[in-house]
Amino acid sequence: MVTPGTSERTAARLLRRPLEKPWMPRLAFAPPNIAPRGDTLVVIFLRGAADGLNMVVPHGERAYYRLRPTLGIPPPDDTKTKPEERTIDLDGFFGFHPSFQPLLDAWHDGSLAVIHACGGPDESRSHFKAMELMERGVADERGPASGWIGRHLASLDTGNSSPLRAVAMGTRTQRSLSGSVPVSALRSIADFHLGGNQHLLDQMRSTLDLLYEGDDLGKDTLSIMNTMQSMDPMIYKPAHSALYPETELGMALKQTAMLIKAEVGLEVSAIDVGGWDTHFAQGSTTGQMPNLIEELALGLSAFYADMHEHMDSLIVVSMSEFGRRVSENGSLGTDHGHGSMMMLMGGNVAGGRIHGQWPGLDEGQRIGPGDLAVTTDYRDVLSEVCVKRLNNPVVSEIFPEYQPRMLNVVRK
Amino acid sequence: MDEHDFTVLNRLTFGARPDERARFLEVGLKPWIEEQLDIQSIDDLDCSLRLAPFRSLEMEANELEAISNQLFENYDRESLPAELRLASLIRQVYSRRQLYEVMVGFWNDHLNIFTEKGNCFYLKTVDDRRVVRTHALGSFRELILASAHSPAMLVYLDNHVNHKGAPNENYARELMELHTLGVNGGYSQADVMELARCLTGWTVKDHFWLGDFEFNADLHDPGVKYVLGMEISDSGINEAEQVIDTLSTHPSTARFISSKLAWRFIADDPPEELIQKGARAFLDTEGDIKSVLRVILLDGVDFVQPKYKRPSDFVISALRMLHAQTDGRGPDESLRGMGQSLFGCPTPDGYPDNSAAWQGNLMPRWNFAFRLVRGEIEGTQIDMEHLLAYVPDDDLTVRFDALATLLLGVPIAEPFRSGLMELITSGGTNEEEMLQILAAGILVSPSFQWK
Repeated sequence: MVTPGTSERTAARLLRRPLEKPWMPRLAFAPPNIAPRGDTLVVIFLRGAADGLNMVVPHGERAYYRLRPTLGIPPPDDTKTKPEERTIDLDGFFGFHPSFQPLLDAWHDGSLAVIHACGGPDESRSHFKAMELMERGVADERGPASGWIGRHLASLDTGNSSPLRAVAMGTRTQRSLSGSVPVSALRSIADFHLGGNQHLLDQMRSTLDLLYEGDDLGKDTLSIMNTMQSMDPMIYKPAHSALYPETELGMALKQTAMLIKAEVGLEVSAIDVGGWDTHFAQGSTTGQMPNLIEELALGLSAFYADMHEHMDSLIVVSMSEFGRRVSENGSLGTDHGHGSMMMLMGGNVAGGRIHGQWPGLDEGQRIGPGDLAVTTDYRDVLSEVCVKRLNNPVVSEIFPEYQPRMLNVVRK
Repeated sequence: MDEHDFTVLNRLTFGARPDERARFLEVGLKPWIEEQLDIQSIDDLDCSLRLAPFRSLEMEANELEAISNQLFENYDRESLPAELRLASLIRQVYSRRQLYEVMVGFWNDHLNIFTEKGNCFYLKTVDDRRVVRTHALGSFRELILASAHSPAMLVYLDNHVNHKGAPNENYARELMELHTLGVNGGYSQADVMELARCLTGWTVKDHFWLGDFEFNADLHDPGVKYVLGMEISDSGINEAEQVIDTLSTHPSTARFISSKLAWRFIADDPPEELIQKGARAFLDTEGDIKSVLRVILLDGVDFVQPKYKRPSDFVISALRMLHAQTDGRGPDESLRGMGQSLFGCPTPDGYPDNSAAWQGNLMPRWNFAFRLVRGEIEGTQIDMEHLLAYVPDDDLTVRFDALATLLLGVPIAEPFRSGLMELITSGGTNEEEMLQILAAGILVSPSFQWK
């Protein structure tokens, strides 16, 4: 089809082409800081706009019950409902959804904190726009295309060149991780075991070695393959008889724990949990959303128990793109709102407390079509985590054009 | 065929086969596109015969409901989506209407529906046929109108429970944000709420012709509405249809669709000039999809940039280029592991179409390649002898070059070519296994991950 001369040149270009990736966005970074690494960061993103108001319930707000006649979580002293269906009081005003019960250990240990009425400035109420902006860590379309975690890693040289420095749990790489540091996507550690007979396997591995010589992503995958060969989540025994739920989140947290204990250089684990877009039949104390809340609580409490000895060098963050409308809609669900809720877990969290300023839910206190206002920018929380727990002082690199306020949600 | 033509042809197909390459070289780009756009003129007997066992593809919603409703309303929620996935895979591999299948894939992403949501498990089969396949190369307005009347879409985005006094704005929002105007297309939260009012009562029948579209006037919110500055008079089902008319011919929509087509066929971050040309063609023809596509493809070829294969591109191109025989089962399972199960994207924006999103996960691709050449993918075989029937069998290098030419368009470059040959011939395996490793080696190579 082609003359040998051109074909060789074309082939060479074909093979080189994917290695160069000139079309990939390249960003100029300030010279990285050199510092020893801080905590391992675990970011759990609740996709679909989680209803923070039904997770950490403002049971002291009469407006909450007025606007959510069927979806509201009964107050702690509501004698008309069974005790296990009432809000679990935390401070006289806020309380946990009853399905958050497994998180009480961490809460009482002072290792779990909540920041309420938290979120970003974007008011599009579009999942995709809000997620994109939040994962990029910017206020609007302008600004860097990379993600805030990617920029954190790129701006901090911890002397760690592990391909597992940042891991995306699942098959796709979160936008927050994109940046100049290679990211590994990991669905299951078992996926990194090549099957087949030993002889062919060896040949296949040599073939891969040859083909991916000079390609960072391929070399990283090969090196991960070697690390993972002896690891198996099916036979892993968590510490303190912790029991991970058999869900995607449970699996992701269990594998995060395995990678931390194997000391393979993990600095960031990014985990997605979907299903929070509860426009229809959300459920108050049973049903769709309570199941999600329980799954989250069981996953986090298993991780908390399993990682007990590592808690001082761990920080878990949960976040969502925005919250949901205060008043329930006509389909026993809630539409897109604004203010949401973040949680932090770890040994150096200012825990057992609800942080942030509560804007109230009454007429005049809500914003837009009737939504919880945002009184704490999510970047305030993340900046503090970066500075105090991840040893990265260059917040201006991570969240450009933003002046964070320190709320003392974590300790130095 | 040069590298550029090979790249272009691999955007227009799910992986070019030799007969498609030959035809492209014979007639040239423009006539090849015209042939492909005239789908009725393309005989597709082989593919049709392979689809014959899939009886559910032509069924109506009530029949689909009936065959999946086992005793006591205990539904089989697995079989129908599986049949639809396998049929779609078979079409992508075997249909000679390749550009049409690529466009069907494009619209299935654009108008994403997740079969695990509610009754979408049986309703999506009707949506795929009546909405996407019927209008993939037709009028954009008809496509969106059909989608708005599609029970699968109404259930997926909760409009079936959008009632007077109990609004649900999910579908109204995505109709503007994802299906037509785009997120910055110039609508407000108030427009979303007003369009949601127009859409009250657009629901799905729950008995007698169960699963069909129904406009229930009793559930419709009466009164005047204001959407995008237009006054919509109280007129029942006509209200939302009137808004859809406006949305589907709006300049923001023209730009959004043109831009998405250019991303799919030409490059990530396509040139502004091309987007504008496509948008102009869209407005001039009131959203004639073929006309927009012609502009994007013919004016866009000079701007083609490498794109990373999404998992389905990777799997289907390997199957096509190696002339695999498959019933779809194994590849379907592999795609699940790679994170791109058909009709399995939970969020309404569909699977991402940019190179960066898919680059973190090589391992399942390596596994697939290795198992494919070993004949270990369920229901799937490759006949290497048949594939290389016309290539002299006394020289392994020649056979290797032939394999590479099938898969990459050209023989593999030095030093990898001799490196691989040396590695494999010194391994002490028999010739069949050597060919397997060579084929797998090409499938796992960086080059094959790009199209």
